[in-house]
Amino acid sequence: MAQVKGGELIFVQGSNPPSLDGMSTSSQASRNINMNIYETLYGFSEDIKPIPILAEGVEISDDGLTYVFTLRQGVMFHNGDEMNSADVKASLERYRIVGATKNLLAPVKDIEITGDYEVTFHMEEATPTFLEAFSSPRAPAVIIPEEDGDAEAGKNSFVGTGPYKFVEYVPDSHVTIERFEDYSADTRSDGIDGFGGHKTAWLDKVTFRIIPEPGAQVAALEAGEVHILEQIPMPAARRLEDDPDIKLYENLRWAFTTFIFNLNVPPSDNVKFREAVQVALNMEAIMAISSEGLYTLNHRWQYEDTAYDPGQIGAEYYNQADAERAKALLDEAGYNGEEFVILTDPNIPQHGRAAVVIAEQLNAIGINAVINQVDWPTALNIRMQDEGWNGWTLQMGIEPYLGPVGLIATLASPARPHFVVPDAGLDALYQELIKGATVEERLETFKKIQAHLYEIFAIIKVGDSGLMHAARSNVKGFIPFRFPRVYDVWLEG
Amino acid sequence: MIRFLVYRLLSAIPVLFVVSLVTFLIMWLVPGDISAEIGGVDATPEDLAAIRERLGLDRPLLERALNWYAALLQGDLGQSYTLNRSVLGAVLERLPVTLSLAGIALVLATAMGMLLGILAAVRHNTLLDQGAMVTALVGLSIPDFWFGIVMIILFGVWLGWLPTGGFVAFSESPVDWARSMTLPAFTLAITQMGVIARMTRSAMLDVLSQDYIRTARAKGMRARAVIFRHGLRNAMIPIITVVGVLSGVLLSGAVVIETVFSLPGVGRLIIGAIQRRDFPIIQGGLLITACVFVFVNILVDIAYAWFDPRGRDDS
Repeated sequence: MAQVKGGELIFVQGSNPPSLDGMSTSSQASRNINMNIYETLYGFSEDIKPIPILAEGVEISDDGLTYVFTLRQGVMFHNGDEMNSADVKASLERYRIVGATKNLLAPVKDIEITGDYEVTFHMEEATPTFLEAFSSPRAPAVIIPEEDGDAEAGKNSFVGTGPYKFVEYVPDSHVTIERFEDYSADTRSDGIDGFGGHKTAWLDKVTFRIIPEPGAQVAALEAGEVHILEQIPMPAARRLEDDPDIKLYENLRWAFTTFIFNLNVPPSDNVKFREAVQVALNMEAIMAISSEGLYTLNHRWQYEDTAYDPGQIGAEYYNQADAERAKALLDEAGYNGEEFVILTDPNIPQHGRAAVVIAEQLNAIGINAVINQVDWPTALNIRMQDEGWNGWTLQMGIEPYLGPVGLIATLASPARPHFVVPDAGLDALYQELIKGATVEERLETFKKIQAHLYEIFAIIKVGDSGLMHAARSNVKGFIPFRFPRVYDVWLEG
Repeated sequence: MIRFLVYRLLSAIPVLFVVSLVTFLIMWLVPGDISAEIGGVDATPEDLAAIRERLGLDRPLLERALNWYAALLQGDLGQSYTLNRSVLGAVLERLPVTLSLAGIALVLATAMGMLLGILAAVRHNTLLDQGAMVTALVGLSIPDFWFGIVMIILFGVWLGWLPTGGFVAFSESPVDWARSMTLPAFTLAITQMGVIARMTRSAMLDVLSQDYIRTARAKGMRARAVIFRHGLRNAMIPIITVVGVLSGVLLSGAVVIETVFSLPGVGRLIIGAIQRRDFPIIQGGLLITACVFVFVNILVDIAYAWFDPRGRDDS
């Protein structure tokens, strides 16, 4: 297939990017755009393994206390300057202050410039999983010019090294980026690979249009005014599946649908009660409704067949829909009809829909489940409180792309675990995980974690939820991923 | 008239003060703040506390309010937490969109509504009267978001005559500006036309039964002159009142239309700010919207005086 250079692609998403400062936000709406503008030293490949992007490579000392990163030479910033080690140090020092996940640099004692194209990290202690954490795309540790090193969060010049450069942002309307003619492609691979690889900007310009109303998004696509929808509602997708002008892209590995307990308050402080909920739930029904039919049943806390796939551990508790066993467990827990408050929000539609089905299923086995639906900021506020809620529906979108460390970090100390009360067993396993020297060792630990999560029932894996993208049929080269890679995409005709 | 205007402007100050104070108090009562939006779902309590401290959200309400009013007196509405620009700049760059939308919709709604109302009153108790009132009622009853989507599908997707959404500035291309405004303004107008039609009909019926109308007809004046020169002019006071109130409704009702048609207007700015808890934008946006509303009401008062000389004498 011959690629075509030129043209303007219009990509549609539903919400504004809260910031175009790549490192200071973990918002998906921002990442969609930022990952086409900025790049990191290391990032994840398609199969979620750390690969060098702006780095030539890294040499790790035997004691794990020194990481020497060599940089690719000749990499240009959008402002015309060449990237060097001073830019890298300034970027990472800024990340320590404004990075939305700045803790990922906590193991680094200091960063030393050891050459024009070389930086050395001196570590506090050996942290074998550091490179995985450092590759995190949640709020990526992007490299920006040294001049932006002192800029407050959100106040940098939006200059990066990526294949597209920032042009304009009109909130509630659009963000425009255009091809960076001096982009230094990574020639070590043949094509794109996860967040890295050999990237080519074919399009002259890409406009990210903000259209909040899904019906209006679909109408704009049908009218040919836009090229790609980040998400098309499933009923519209079914209607358009035979339309020759539209192509649908299933992105099955989009997010984990989860249900989180508050371990601090009754009745969810009782493990038998939580087990009852686990065995009572019919995951198929919850996933079918919450994802509008685009889902995979999966009990694992990783995607199947990835490096840390824990196999069948925990499967015996998953998708049981066993009302009798659940009622027996409720008796064992001494449950006597206390209110079970499910916190949810309508802003992420899967949250609200999952909550409704879960509440119905729990009511059916005699649990007095009530839904507290509030907007997203209020939900985040309430779940940070130790009381006032029992269960919380959460789509974990980026976590599956962070590897096991990034996922479990949200559930173990020193972070405040999602389920409020730290679990000593999980904390110990997390420490074991981050100290595992090899992938094999870490996989063994992760299997223990998977088993432990099905012992404490503090968080329930409901399933893997997918996302349907839609594009005009003249859009070529688009490969669904966790963010829209508008490089290596071109327009035909 | 100048004294009247000065009096009306001065009397707007306490109104605006109350608006801003109530907004402040409501924002204080609403749970959640911007720290969760900035920090993300995995932020620790320490991260959230640091963000609140940086933005001054940890300060007592009274202190925040006093600081805000002090800055306001110097013409500073503050900085948005998320948009990387001043509140005034953010609102002013959106105002043309909302004013275009509300302004065109108001003209359309007034023209269509008055036409229907006059026809209904002049042809009272005929099929035309009933037809006009059913049309008005349908316009009133249609949910604007639904009607908007129908318009998009009909004129944007099926016929391809007009864009499905988005805004083009007048300065960029007057033709594309008109095209981008047609569907949203018509949608907004159609749902408000009914109110004006019903009010016009009612006011005209009152006036047309007056002695001076009968006298005008008796002396052989042409029907058109009777209706427009003597009838409509005297029926204008209640119509102007409704149009004045509707201008406020259109400014606030434009939020739904701005969302359906993806227009970057003040309504979406404020709604987005509420969803993110971007307090300075909410506070400043509502204050400026209230100013526009007050200004429109002053215009309505001037129009009263224009149509009814007694008001001019009283003022």
